[in-house]
Amino acid sequence: MFQTVLQSLNLGFLKALQIFGLTLLGGIPLGFLIAFGSMSRWKLLRFPVKTIVWIVRGTPLMLQLLIIYYGPGILLGNNIWGGSTGGRFTAAVVTFIFNYACYFSEIFRGGIQGVPRGQREAGQVLGLTNTQIFFKVTLMQVIKRIVPPIGNEIITLVKDTSLVRVISVYEIIWNGEKFIKSAGIIWPLFFTGLYYLLFSGLLTLLLGWIEKKLDYFKV
Amino acid sequence: MALLEVKNLQKSFGELEVLKGISFSMEQGENLSIIGPSGGGKTTLLRCLNFLEIPTGGSIAVGGRTLFDASDAKTVSEREIRRNRLHFGLVFQNFNLFPQYTALENVALALKLQAKSEAGNGAARKEINARIDAQCAELLGRVGLGDKLDFYPHQLSGGQQQRVAIARALALRPEVLFFDEPTSALDPELTGEVLRVIRKLAEEKMTMVIVTHEMGFAEAVSDQVLFIDGGLIAEQGSPEQVFRNPQSERTRQFLGSYR
Ligand SMILES: Nc1ncnc2c1ncn2[C@@H]1O[C@H](COP(=O)(O)OP(=O)(O)OP(=O)(O)O)[C@@H](O)[C@H]1O
Ligand SMILES: [Mg+2]
Repeated sequence: MFQTVLQSLNLGFLKALQIFGLTLLGGIPLGFLIAFGSMSRWKLLRFPVKTIVWIVRGTPLMLQLLIIYYGPGILLGNNIWGGSTGGRFTAAVVTFIFNYACYFSEIFRGGIQGVPRGQREAGQVLGLTNTQIFFKVTLMQVIKRIVPPIGNEIITLVKDTSLVRVISVYEIIWNGEKFIKSAGIIWPLFFTGLYYLLFSGLLTLLLGWIEKKLDYFKV
Repeated sequence: MALLEVKNLQKSFGELEVLKGISFSMEQGENLSIIGPSGGGKTTLLRCLNFLEIPTGGSIAVGGRTLFDASDAKTVSEREIRRNRLHFGLVFQNFNLFPQYTALENVALALKLQAKSEAGNGAARKEINARIDAQCAELLGRVGLGDKLDFYPHQLSGGQQQRVAIARALALRPEVLFFDEPTSALDPELTGEVLRVIRKLAEEKMTMVIVTHEMGFAEAVSDQVLFIDGGLIAEQGSPEQVFRNPQSERTRQFLGSYR
């Protein structure tokens, strides 16, 4: 029994990890793009971007999963995701990337705007190009500022992966819960909790280590 | 020929006319001090001269070559502005050192980036960088910080930070070095070390423009003094003239508030 449960939980955890990894991989660059969009001088870009960010951050991720997955099929009569397991997984990842990118973008924007104007100007009077100023002056200060809040989002993301079950992507909690019905046991659910604790504990250590690495300067 | 010639420089922010026509010129090796009440436009003037703001009127020429002319309709490109800036250096009131770099790295950054775009990568560049480091370390030595090369800004006092900022500006060998109230952000006991560095530069005939509230210092080191009030030069002359025998009532009032 124990073996069966562990195998099942491992499978579920692997799904969760995939969603976690892909969300970071896609969400961080997309978040930067959205951040620049929301800071654009060009109103026609800034306004829609800010509206989208507001909508995404103002509604539950679970609702977004349902709408993104079922919406195209019902509204357009064309289920772009396909009905398969893979299709549901893709829909989940796309939703997560988009949702987290919006949260990240706000953090990036705060981080970029938080760098004092004088830093940029000091670079300008030294004859640096805008690209040099971004990469050699601003970026490191932005990174230092955003590591703690991004860390919080990342820890939240670990736990948010459990939401994908609403569109039947079988992550770890679903895999634990099924043993209640099939075998009348609840300890697998407690075990899922351990997986989360271990993984978020590991991430917390990693994030703490990064923060410490950045301690050599103050902003 | 004048090294720097500023003619009828104007700057408005929307409706607000901050500079209403500033003209002055200075020779190589000259030291010009700018004094005046808060809000008079001193900082705006320095920012315009360093192209951090684009003037709305007037012209700026260096060594007889016009860098900027507002009446010349062609818009200046980003690239051109960047090249123009290299004639000048600016030391900010609040230093604006890059916090993630050591004192030496702060001073060397711009030179290394220049070398990178010229020399590319590889062994040659390594050698160039080593030379830049040596040169910048020497500069830091000249401002009395030879033993602080590897200190980060937060490990330095305000006076030391400002001296690093001066070295950073000097590294690019500007033709004119501008200071915007270089000691205003410092505790009184730290102003002396910065003023001493500036005085030494004056003795070495560095061409400098210094916005300052240190009247005694301005009187002692400058060759020419501008009193700017309400976006205009209200008084202009040698330190003796401006400080000992001011012509305008406004100048007398202002100087009176410092006695
Ligand atoms: N970017 C800006 N937008 C609008 N107004 C500005 C801007 N920069 C400066 N001003 C205004 O221009 C005027 C002159 O400011 P400036 O900073 O040049 O004065 P200052 O002589 O340097 O004063 P202080 O001695 O206090 O440093 C002020 O009224 C200020 O509010
Ligand atoms: Mg000022």
